[in-house]
Amino acid sequence: MYDDFANPWTIRLKWSYLLLVVVALLSPVFYIVYISFNEHGFSARIYEFTFDWYRVVLSDTILVSSLSWTVYLAVTAVAVTIPMALLSAKFYKRSRRKVAFVALMLSPLFVPADIMGSSLLVFFKNLSGAFSWLDSVLGVNWFDGWFDLGFLTALIGQIIYTHPYAFIVILITMSRYRNQQTEAARACGATAWQAFWQVEFPQIRVGVFSSCAFVTILSFNEAVRTALLKGGFDTFSNVLVAQMLNIGMSGESYAMAGIMSIVSITVIGSIIVYTLVRAERLERKARAMAEPVMSI
Amino acid sequence: MESTATPSSSPTRRGRDIPASPVWWQRLLGENGIQKWVFFIPIVFFVLFFAAPVVLTIVFSFFERTQFWMEPGFTLFAYENFFTSARAENYVFSMLHSAAAVVVSFVLGFPIAVFVRRRVAKAAQHRVILLFILPFMISELVRVFAMRPVLGRNGVVNNFLIDIGIINEPITIILFSPLGVIIGDVMSFLPFMIFAGFLALEAVQNYIFEVCDDLGAGPARLFGDIIVPLAAPGIFAGSVFIFVNSMGVALVPTLLGGPGAVNAGLIANQAIVALDFPLAMAISTIMILTLVLLLYVGHRLFDLTKVLEPIS
Amino acid sequence: MRNSSDTAVEVVDLGKNYGTVKALNAVSFTIDSGQYYALLGPSGGGKTTLLRLIGGFIQPTAGQVLLHGEDVSHLPPNKRPTSMVFQSYALFPHMNVERNVAYGLKLRKVPANEMRDKVDWMLSMVGLDGYNERMPHELSGGQQQRVQLARSLVLDADILLLDEPLAALDAKLRKDMCLELKRIQEKVGITFIHVTHNQEEALTVADRIAIIADGDLIEQGTARDIYETPRKRFTAGFIGDNNVLGGIVAGVSGERVTVDLDFAKVDIAAPGTTAAAGDQVSFSVRSELLRMVDPGQTADGAWQSVPATYLETIYLGLTTSHLVRLPDGSEVAARFVSSEDDIGSFETGQAVTIGWPSGRARLHVS
Repeated sequence: MYDDFANPWTIRLKWSYLLLVVVALLSPVFYIVYISFNEHGFSARIYEFTFDWYRVVLSDTILVSSLSWTVYLAVTAVAVTIPMALLSAKFYKRSRRKVAFVALMLSPLFVPADIMGSSLLVFFKNLSGAFSWLDSVLGVNWFDGWFDLGFLTALIGQIIYTHPYAFIVILITMSRYRNQQTEAARACGATAWQAFWQVEFPQIRVGVFSSCAFVTILSFNEAVRTALLKGGFDTFSNVLVAQMLNIGMSGESYAMAGIMSIVSITVIGSIIVYTLVRAERLERKARAMAEPVMSI
Repeated sequence: MESTATPSSSPTRRGRDIPASPVWWQRLLGENGIQKWVFFIPIVFFVLFFAAPVVLTIVFSFFERTQFWMEPGFTLFAYENFFTSARAENYVFSMLHSAAAVVVSFVLGFPIAVFVRRRVAKAAQHRVILLFILPFMISELVRVFAMRPVLGRNGVVNNFLIDIGIINEPITIILFSPLGVIIGDVMSFLPFMIFAGFLALEAVQNYIFEVCDDLGAGPARLFGDIIVPLAAPGIFAGSVFIFVNSMGVALVPTLLGGPGAVNAGLIANQAIVALDFPLAMAISTIMILTLVLLLYVGHRLFDLTKVLEPIS
Repeated sequence: MRNSSDTAVEVVDLGKNYGTVKALNAVSFTIDSGQYYALLGPSGGGKTTLLRLIGGFIQPTAGQVLLHGEDVSHLPPNKRPTSMVFQSYALFPHMNVERNVAYGLKLRKVPANEMRDKVDWMLSMVGLDGYNERMPHELSGGQQQRVQLARSLVLDADILLLDEPLAALDAKLRKDMCLELKRIQEKVGITFIHVTHNQEEALTVADRIAIIADGDLIEQGTARDIYETPRKRFTAGFIGDNNVLGGIVAGVSGERVTVDLDFAKVDIAAPGTTAAAGDQVSFSVRSELLRMVDPGQTADGAWQSVPATYLETIYLGLTTSHLVRLPDGSEVAARFVSSEDDIGSFETGQAVTIGWPSGRARLHVS
């Protein structure tokens, strides 16, 4: 909304404040990346550019194996969370008790990491205890090891964490979609799945892909829940937390933090740039679609 | 009677081959079978792995502690342990810190939401808001950690202030102190105040602002009488989010607080490390009840469902 | 050869509840093959619910839908011999016109060359030759609805359902499209079921009209029946410009019912009526039948009349309405074609007598 009477300098001042906040939120991270390329580390008086810290990190076999766990976890989290978020969004659209449903789906946002992690940890330990008790009662070993802390429990923790975000992003994209199109497809003879895949999905694809990226990044960055629920393995951020707490700020931890930031900035930054570049065109198209011309 | 309008192009008509009633397995795979129930998977999953653990947390908090684990029973020992130790006091202090973080986030962040909603061209609004996703999407761990070289004794801030001659001695109160924790919380959660505030303002029709301009409401009146009440559900949702996360994310006091700095998340975490599971559950219970109480009060006051209007 | 007395649609005690809200109450009727059938009624009256039940987009709470004598209540839309045209926004925005129209054929795995021929033929049928490559947002509202029509018709469905297909169009365009729809229906000869809240639209297109309100089927009949001799008071109030008056039956003699209006008694022809003396009834007279009459004119029984006070004249272009107030306070309108309005001028408050030809008022028991 424009205001023709507003003082242009006030507007400019407000814009600068907005940009200042964005920069202030980001600059510590950029500073860390900057330090991570200094051979002498933090607070040295001289700055000599080097990749050495990154070389050290990437030659550390523990770190590299933790990186593969991280990727493994992120990929499975995306593979489970996104279809589930699509189901939830579709369910929400049809459901007539929307408030109760959305409260259940979004409340994980409001439960802090350490609290949720502790609750799930104790829950899983009890569950696995209950299953082995069941085994001993029945004299079998069907349930042996179900919900022992490990990859599955860490994955569940991450799904609970990432699902609300994916759900919201997909729901926002879907709010522009008109359900009459699904019905039209059904009237043309499409099954429910065909109508979704051939008519609805192409129109919400952008939202689904960006939620994939969000879930990847959230999973990649997650440390607390995973640390509590992972059992025997370590993810990259788990190792970084341990480093920070035990060794403090070493050149290596700067490099690790640098890797994490660069990955996030690259993935999310490219999505933002892509969105900004395409937004104008999409906007015009969407407007044209939403309001058909009313005359011949 | 012979029909005169026999269509020319229809050798076969679908009307004549309506499928017969489906047998049981077709019903099972059909749209009233699996295809319908598949949509309940998310609910089942969230009831099983979110609602159940949260509810059981309350149950487990009454269990008896054993050396490495716990056993069924009913005891208030964990709560006694919480309320008679420094933990209760720490909990209240962390509430105060969190409230401060909420206020600072509101003061710094909400005007941005208002500005974007009112002064940025409609088509560009979402794109401007998108800018605040980037900092949020960088690992919280890294962002909190990054405050150390910035706020530290020989960090960026102090060096800068000494270089330009405003201070002679480094300011030490901004790191490893309650103030450091508040700064860390604001840096971590500020974008949420902007998102939630903007989402709530987006539901406000443009004409409302125009009516105010027309009636000659000044900026202060407009802000106090119109914008804040209309955005109240969003402001509240954003505030609760920042409040509970400031209380529950252990990372911030761990990395930025001084010795002994704790919040609810860290107390729970320490209890887990000490293998005192009932205590951890008791703290989680208190935290969850705090959250539920806040959401309930907020919902009664502001009807939080309004926040969801843009997406429904 | 199809026989036009075949039953295309039979609806038996069909009901739909949303929670405790009743959208449709046990409605039953039949529609013959090849008929243009309109479901007409006020918004929220249940007509769209009824159409969507026939199309299979929602499931009934009670009752059955039979298409060509087969119970299809358990079938999803894609398994029914119906096709649907929606209000608007229902074209697939990411497909061009040709792919939109061909979509259903593609699902049926129709060979490519046959598909192309059918699509071209159908596009020319709806008057859109050569629009194959256009995207939906490049079309006007009327053109979009033609594409929707083509997309449905190309499937050779037996029954075409149209859900307020012209509601998003402006008045002039709606009129043209009405005639176009009627022409296309006559050409393809299949059953059309058309939902609308616009009576002019329904009267233009439909062979038969069903009035739906408050979840009930009020009455049905040919367009002429519904307009000229509505049986229900609701229909009289809803269709055309009717004056509806209420009174008590003073006496019944043969096919004639005398209604006591408190300030006047009038005779109404009502063959086969169930009304008996003492019943509360109503009757309606179309406003174009009302005339200002001389009190003496009614003596021969050719006219029925009541006393009234003149209120005002409202010029409406084609017609002019003269408003009068009856002694009980109700207002009635007499309508004239403006160019033939030879009634002269009256003063507000002047006493007049208005009347209508005997036999043209309709008695409504319910």
